[in-house]
Amino acid sequence: MDSALIPKGVKRCPMWQFLLGLGIVGAVLAWGVYAMLLCWFKGLNQTNMNDYYGFALWIWADLAVIAVGGGAFFSGLLKYIIGKDELKNIINYAVLIGFICYSSALLILAIDVGQPLRSWFIFWHANVHSMLTEVAFCLSCYFSVLTIEYIPLILENRQIDKVPFFHNLGHNMHETMAVFAATGAFLSFFHQGSLGGVAGVLFGRPFSFREGLLIWPWTFFLFTWSAAAYGPCFTLLITWITEKVTRKKLVKDNVVELLAKISGWMIFTYTIAKICDTTRWANITAPGLGQTLADFYTGTAFYGYWILFAEVVLGGLVPAIILISAPLRKNPVWRVTAIILAVLGVSLNRWVMVLQVMAAPVMTFDQWILYYPSWQEVATTILPVAYGIILIMISYRYLPIFPQEAELNPIDDEPEVEAVADAPADLEPAKA
Amino acid sequence: MKVDRRSFLSFVIGGAAGTALSPLPWKLMDDSSIWSQMWPWTPVPPDGEVVYEDSTCSLCPGGCGITVRKIDNRAVKIEGKPGHPVNDGGICILGLSGLQMLYGPTRIKAPMKRMGERGAGKWQKISWDEALGMLTEKLTAIREREEAHTVAAIAGSDQGTVPALLARFMAAFGSPNFIRTPSYQDTDELAVGTLFGEAGRTGFDLENADYILSFGSGIADGWGSPVRMIKACSLWKEKRVPVVQVDPRLSNSAAKATRWVPITPGTEADLALGIAAVMIAKNLVGSGAVSGLGGIKNTLLTDYAPEKVSLSTGVSVEAIVEIAKDFARANRPLALCGRGKAQSPESLRETAAVYLLNGLTGNVNQEGGMWAIAPADYIQWPEVARDKAASAGLRQPRFDGAGSGQYANARHLLQRLPDGLNGNGPYPIQVLMVADANPCHSLHDAAAFKAALDKIPFIVSFSSFNDETAAMADLLLPDHVYLERYADVPVAAGLPSQTIGLSKPVVSPQFNTRHLGETLINLAQAVGGSVAESFPWKNYETCLQETLADKWDVLMQKGVWVDDDFATAGSSLQMAALDTPAVEIEGDAGTFPLLLMPYDSIRISSGYIGDTPFMIKTVADTVIKGKDGFVEINPQTAGEMGLSEGDLATLTTPRGEAPVRVHLFEGIKPGVIAMAKGLGHTAYDGFLADKGINVNELIGPVEDPSSGLDAAWGIRAKLAKA
Amino acid sequence: MKHEQKHNPPMKYGMAIDLDKCTGCGACMVACMSENNVPFKKDESNKLDSITWIRVYKLTNGKSFPDTEICYLPRPCQHCEGHGGHSPCVSVCPATATDYSQETGIVSQIYTRCFGCRYCMAACPYHARYFNWWDPVWPDGMEKSLSPNVSPRMRGVVEKCSFCFHRYQQAKNKAYLDGERRVPEEAYQTACTQACPAGAIVFGDLNNPTHKVHQIVKPDPHNGNKSKNPRAFRLLERLGTNTKVYYLSSREWVRRAGDNYLEHEKTGQVSKPHH
Repeated sequence: MDSALIPKGVKRCPMWQFLLGLGIVGAVLAWGVYAMLLCWFKGLNQTNMNDYYGFALWIWADLAVIAVGGGAFFSGLLKYIIGKDELKNIINYAVLIGFICYSSALLILAIDVGQPLRSWFIFWHANVHSMLTEVAFCLSCYFSVLTIEYIPLILENRQIDKVPFFHNLGHNMHETMAVFAATGAFLSFFHQGSLGGVAGVLFGRPFSFREGLLIWPWTFFLFTWSAAAYGPCFTLLITWITEKVTRKKLVKDNVVELLAKISGWMIFTYTIAKICDTTRWANITAPGLGQTLADFYTGTAFYGYWILFAEVVLGGLVPAIILISAPLRKNPVWRVTAIILAVLGVSLNRWVMVLQVMAAPVMTFDQWILYYPSWQEVATTILPVAYGIILIMISYRYLPIFPQEAELNPIDDEPEVEAVADAPADLEPAKA
Repeated sequence: MKVDRRSFLSFVIGGAAGTALSPLPWKLMDDSSIWSQMWPWTPVPPDGEVVYEDSTCSLCPGGCGITVRKIDNRAVKIEGKPGHPVNDGGICILGLSGLQMLYGPTRIKAPMKRMGERGAGKWQKISWDEALGMLTEKLTAIREREEAHTVAAIAGSDQGTVPALLARFMAAFGSPNFIRTPSYQDTDELAVGTLFGEAGRTGFDLENADYILSFGSGIADGWGSPVRMIKACSLWKEKRVPVVQVDPRLSNSAAKATRWVPITPGTEADLALGIAAVMIAKNLVGSGAVSGLGGIKNTLLTDYAPEKVSLSTGVSVEAIVEIAKDFARANRPLALCGRGKAQSPESLRETAAVYLLNGLTGNVNQEGGMWAIAPADYIQWPEVARDKAASAGLRQPRFDGAGSGQYANARHLLQRLPDGLNGNGPYPIQVLMVADANPCHSLHDAAAFKAALDKIPFIVSFSSFNDETAAMADLLLPDHVYLERYADVPVAAGLPSQTIGLSKPVVSPQFNTRHLGETLINLAQAVGGSVAESFPWKNYETCLQETLADKWDVLMQKGVWVDDDFATAGSSLQMAALDTPAVEIEGDAGTFPLLLMPYDSIRISSGYIGDTPFMIKTVADTVIKGKDGFVEINPQTAGEMGLSEGDLATLTTPRGEAPVRVHLFEGIKPGVIAMAKGLGHTAYDGFLADKGINVNELIGPVEDPSSGLDAAWGIRAKLAKA
Repeated sequence: MKHEQKHNPPMKYGMAIDLDKCTGCGACMVACMSENNVPFKKDESNKLDSITWIRVYKLTNGKSFPDTEICYLPRPCQHCEGHGGHSPCVSVCPATATDYSQETGIVSQIYTRCFGCRYCMAACPYHARYFNWWDPVWPDGMEKSLSPNVSPRMRGVVEKCSFCFHRYQQAKNKAYLDGERRVPEEAYQTACTQACPAGAIVFGDLNNPTHKVHQIVKPDPHNGNKSKNPRAFRLLERLGTNTKVYYLSSREWVRRAGDNYLEHEKTGQVSKPHH
């Protein structure tokens, strides 16, 4: 039916299967849109946020998707600037995932503010001292860059490519992609950093406050470094899930292993930096403000020391060592375990830097406050996940995302392709 | 025209670019910022000329001077009046939120008659003529049957011209049943009468005292004139005046005191007598202020020796002796009683014991001491004209039995009403009129009172607000609220002076309400005959002006009239025998191991006036949370019962049971639990109704054997985890 | 007539709240609500979304019966100066909707500028900032009690104590008309100060030695504006927020509750400022 649109040399599932998958994910999307409209029309009283939790699930989701979306800029940096040419086989997907992550982040922000109609004040009345202003500027700019990086991929669609103008446009854009990759890397450095700065500059909150390195707080660099380190893991994770769902090998092992190895070393160095930061914070910053580590980790049953252990060891050292070690890295089970641990680890870090900051009391007569999100918050957080799955489904179906797909899956083994399960629905829990 | 792909795309892209470059996006952005700050449902308060109007607050007996800021004819803020002798610029939380009562959703906006079942809340608006006609018809018929005594009136106060007009109406009509709601005023009047032999009340020169010994008085919790009391607390801090608070619970007053003496509840009289005994034993008694001391000396020394008192009160011997010595050696010590906000009568024994302490210092009617003050006498109206019906009615005994037989010492015994209505009264009640009172909520065993109202065929409420008692009425004749009317506000509330404030209409009446004074004059004139003769005034304002006579000009000018050179109610305290019995509380300790005490919070209005939305907002989430009310309990006691913070529990007393939540508080004596008064409303509005439990429904009246006054200060209770 | 207000040295409005005097009566809270058109809901028992610009906290010394003590602590916005106006909230607001006035030392909040990102709330350790989770609704008729001097806020914006800034503007206008160089001390007082029955709140210019608040607090500009009064302390002084609300207490446990201390540290010890 839509065979004219499907890239040459690859096989796609039947239309009904595709539409069924789209329908299921679309229902989830609709649920999220409903919740979003509730938040817009009835206001943020639809959430369980409160004056203690001004930042909550959404800000965590924002920070987390941007962290894991860091795979786009870092892969781009590695390919176009450092010259790791093998990565051209995964860069398209990295860009797509990045695009989804960043557009999701912007969408969540548009729901999260109390007066969405005025959110452009952040540009109009910008306060240059605010980390959030920096975030807004860099995020929008980088989103534009990602869009520009995504466009040539769309232009590669068989039918669009037939139009000479689009063909030439796509070709020329490819030529200049290194410039955008460099711009993207530069912007990412700042907005990932300023997202880290969001919590790090809060000198009223000893839990998140990190004294300055030059003019920036430590978290500025930790966030940039961790996004670069963990982002590729997320790209690999989504690639792995896509391979499982499509039951096809899409990217060659050497590409995956290269990215995994780089990621492993990055996570390792990041974790060292994080340990140094934590040590300094626990021994110098916090005691200087009259607080001890125990004050931060023994107030409630939930925010215990386990969280620090999970973040630094399970989500840091363990995946780093697995990915650094060649034999472990080459073993798919170990590798995927490490990748999952890494993605959970960086998400946990962002959780801590948002939610635990809000939970921990500063005034001695204040108390720990726990919070759980309302269904509207959960739905609007799942909304971008559904949207991402849909975008991946459409892009995968109609665009030559994986350059190695045709080579790895010769077209004659038709029966196997026919057997593709209607698995799109499985994507959802895997990503969430 | 053939549209090919190219021209279509050019059109779309060109159109988009054109729109983007046009002023449209900018205009829309600009508009969005304007829309989002000017939603039609967010009010924009109109500006206008600023005027300040002085008046007197009458929401509590405190009598503070207020200044109301107005924008044109809207009152927008109430502030304390600087330089006022009572509050000098300060103002309490209730006074501040008065506008929420003036403009609030809880007002009764017009005269109404009941349509559905009583209490069902179905009303029909009627005209004042129709309303007064209805009432006149009922009253005239009763009077013609010579049953004038079967009409009763409940009033929140008997001070000032408005309650006096109601009392006068009852007298002229021929009913002895003008009943004032119970308060510490009852006990105080009784104690002054008993100890000084003359009618009067006490006043306390707090500002000049140099040692304060408070037996549970909520000096920082709304006792007396609350702003004056809090000011005095600050003054004592500045002058380093020792303040000793005797209290089973770490109330705010106890927290402000220099010393908190936790005591076994109900043994305050023992402690006072114990202190007196030490003073006598150590020869620390002032000269000659107490007569009859000799007669009680031996009893005091033997029965109230510190060791004995220590056993019953739980206060150590050292503490008793130390307090006694410090109290006696201070130049101008002062002892206070009347628990919490002093809204409930207390046992005569306790009050007499505390006043005895004041007597022993020799500071009675002295600077810094306790004053016995003769009643205010500015209301000098001619005798009520009595026709035959009136004389016949007034010959009947009072329905509540006050003033005769075993209740000879009492003037008002509202708590006896339900029993009387349920068949034990001397006669039935045909009409009940209620003014400035909400007994269906504020009386002990309020539920029983409410149930007994079934026996009264016709109930009239003059309330300005949808309170629980108004909800039970058949006819509503709503009064103005204090900001809409003239009224004299005589201030007793422990002031050592005769002070009268003037309430002035700050704004014109907001609804179709009528001044109660006016209503009563109208009513009297409608009833006619000797009743009308007793109300010779054209209207209330004339009545007020004539009554205040020479004070009127001063009041109009200054808003307050103060007489420091007032008449006293005797100067010597006569101590009779120490045989006044103690008041035991209800319930047996076996079934009910705990002791439930109500406590007063200045943030919760607990009398006739309900809490305002602003005030409720300040109430802690350990007092009410959602619909749930809390009991305070010592963690040790809670631990023994397996209860932890916030747990749901069932609170049972001999009078009823209620679901509550538990709040652990170290500042309460183990074995005692406490609940805030003034909550658990069913009427008023959504800002006040259905929050917490009305503790008055869990406590029954307990009569002081010496007077018949309801002197219950708690009840035995048990708590079980729900 | 020449008006020289512009050449006046900057003012630094601040408060001294005597906790020995505060009885926790709550008048300040309601005075503030009434003055500033603060909205109210039917259920305000969830204190996590209840707007009270000045909130009275109840502190306890943590000891068991009968050694328990309690102390009330009213907490308006602390109007942090930080280092040179770098207060925790002002520095983070992305849209310049909140600002530190160098003329008065007041941290302002422009409701129509705020777009509700709530970063300032995350930054404020005092929880002095409140978000309008709901549209403010006044019961029919009660909007008559709204003051035109303070605009009611719309849903979705942050609000907080302004030290009754509108009163400052009125006083300043009046001073100008009266030909006075400065706003007299008594001409500008906050609603809570004015209402407090205990007289526990003293408000004025911390820079002006003739003002009562200066005389009580005796701020030491060479020591981060720490008070020289041994009874005085500020909330979380060690964070370097450099607040302008000083508290007074004669009880050591109360002063200690004002800040976080390691076990061995002395009450009142302040680490070096960070900024």
